[in-house]
Amino acid sequence: MWRVRPAKLDDLKPILRIVGAQAARLSSTLPKTEENLTRAIEQTQASLSPTHNNRKPRRFLFVLENTDTGEIGGTAGIDSRAGNGQPFYNYRRDYLIHASHELSVSRRVEVLYPSHALTDLSLLRSFTIKDELRKTSAFELLARARILFIASHRDWFSSHTVVEIQGIQHPDGRVPFWDSLGRHFFNMDFESADQYSGQLSKTFIAELMPPNPIYVTLLSDEAQQAMGQGHPLAEPSQQLLRQEGFHPGCFLDIFDGGPVLEVRTDSLKTLVTCQLKTLHGSHHDQGDQCLIAAGEGDQFRCLLAPVSETLSGDVKVPVNTWHGLEKTAGDQVRISPL
Amino acid sequence: MLVIRPLRETDLDDLYAMAAAAGKGLTTLPADRELLQAKIRRAEESFSQRCAPEAGLYLFALEDTELNKAVGISGIEARVGLQEVFYNYRLSVTVNASKELGVHVRTPTLHLSNDMTDTTEICSLLLANDYKGGGNGLLLSRCRFMYLDDFRKHFSEKVFAEMRGVSDEQGHSPLWDALGSKFFDMDFSQADRLSGLGNKAFIAELMPKYPIYLPMLPDAARAVIGRVHDNTRPALSMLQAEGFNFNGLVDIFDGGPVVEAFAHNIRTVRESLSRYAMVVNKPINTSVAPEQRVMISNRSFRDFRVTTVPVDCIGPDTVSISREVAEALLIESGDPVRLAPLKDGGLSAMHGARGQGAAGDKSSPRGHSYRNRQGQR
Repeated sequence: MWRVRPAKLDDLKPILRIVGAQAARLSSTLPKTEENLTRAIEQTQASLSPTHNNRKPRRFLFVLENTDTGEIGGTAGIDSRAGNGQPFYNYRRDYLIHASHELSVSRRVEVLYPSHALTDLSLLRSFTIKDELRKTSAFELLARARILFIASHRDWFSSHTVVEIQGIQHPDGRVPFWDSLGRHFFNMDFESADQYSGQLSKTFIAELMPPNPIYVTLLSDEAQQAMGQGHPLAEPSQQLLRQEGFHPGCFLDIFDGGPVLEVRTDSLKTLVTCQLKTLHGSHHDQGDQCLIAAGEGDQFRCLLAPVSETLSGDVKVPVNTWHGLEKTAGDQVRISPL
Repeated sequence: MLVIRPLRETDLDDLYAMAAAAGKGLTTLPADRELLQAKIRRAEESFSQRCAPEAGLYLFALEDTELNKAVGISGIEARVGLQEVFYNYRLSVTVNASKELGVHVRTPTLHLSNDMTDTTEICSLLLANDYKGGGNGLLLSRCRFMYLDDFRKHFSEKVFAEMRGVSDEQGHSPLWDALGSKFFDMDFSQADRLSGLGNKAFIAELMPKYPIYLPMLPDAARAVIGRVHDNTRPALSMLQAEGFNFNGLVDIFDGGPVVEAFAHNIRTVRESLSRYAMVVNKPINTSVAPEQRVMISNRSFRDFRVTTVPVDCIGPDTVSISREVAEALLIESGDPVRLAPLKDGGLSAMHGARGQGAAGDKSSPRGHSYRNRQGQR
């Protein structure tokens, strides 16, 4: 049985193995070195602690774990505030009208403005899953468990939630948007910049990013086409996020030009439709597959189980699910249909 | 004889013919009768001081007195950018550096600027093909500096010239193709023509206002920024010899450089002499090489005249001129005149003629710069 729970330091090695297998194909904001990953897990633990200062940003990393084998199948993260107290960088895609009344000419000019507007909004990030699990229900479990976590800890999160979708990258590693823009200023290849942004303070972006707006018409055609386009491999998660209510706005990733999806946190479909129920046991495997989450803080667990409902606001799930949730009959759980 | 004088209404036909022959690339003098006529009218008002000093446009004609025909033109715009907005790009450097990463990147950047606003521009130089050579172009260009210096208060301390940038025979400008055309559906020659018709500010409204990072432009466009058209190279050399230097500004359309100098540093200004005219009846051999000739001006604001005389006519206090020259300059014996070398080599010739008397200097507020020069010797 697959379940999602907060990452622990024991997960370090298996996560690094997943990263190693994935890095070349799909970069993620997941740290790729032991040191940084350790820090990310420690931050998760600190953020879940009841003694955490509420004014400080929280960062969470969850893992997808096979309760039978202990295998780690993927990771997913949430930052309670994008930027973690530092500026969060994006390009805002905007338009200016260049017009001359005398010449009766008017032209719409597309401009990319450096923006910090998304700073402090909640951010979904670090989504990574093993290839063989991509097409299974574990994929949806891992992605949506985070939203159930937000639902059970709503106060920790902002009014809006955003997620950066990875942009276009060719199989040979070329990133057209980066090659046409960032490379000139950062003087490094895309991989390095992407790595640095994952692990270093964002100061280097402030230092190296061109401070002025960029005219889109001066970018290469390939770069212009890549703007706002997600990587084909990110398509399934993009679809899932759209079903949750995320939609592309005017913000782009500064490195690869990938879209940033936005949603009002309170409109997240899973958050709106999930229900608090009382847990009971059943001895059969019948019922609709549902996401079922329970526990607060580091006790948070989320898994998939066939659920049959009773009239009184109770749910019946197979008893072995209790172990996965680390709950027993009579405890409160949050359920949402798959 | 070739004489510089203010441009007149009657020069319109000659001027039009010259502008038409010059073709593309001469933004400030398009072959458009109405526009040329308006320019001539403005020049007449400027010389007769019927317009505000800052609106002054001083256009000079080079007249072939035998044919009674204008064969060249040059001008001074007293102050640019006051009636409309005067745009340039400033070529500067943006540095992005991160100590943490050991990255230090210099990015050449074009910033839109109006830095030349309220500055004097020398402009509109055009010489008929038959008259090229023999120092005529120099006379046409350098006579302006004598005028500029004699009437300083009408002009700014700083003087500049916009040099024509690179474009090919078909009128394609690499910078325009890479930058301007992306914002404006027009080819370069059309934009350039509109600009000459006085629409430059309107076009600028359509141009990008934010800085342009040069690495984002193709190499062909970057290569022409601050470079002059091959045909303009002699004019650039001439201005450089006068002390003009590239000031970091380029044309917003073709990337041609702006060169500037402070009026008091311009060589023609520094190397000018003041003398009194002495009309002599003995014949003067005027057929000497350009190196052996000097410009002579009548120092008149309203009816500025300049021609050239042999350098050996210059005496300690006076300059000997023929009756014909005196008439062309509208002067008589005893009138003050100003002299300056025509060619780069002319200075040494003038040194020999200087003598010790500087009577003219006493009456001339400009004389002190000449005295300083003597003091150094």
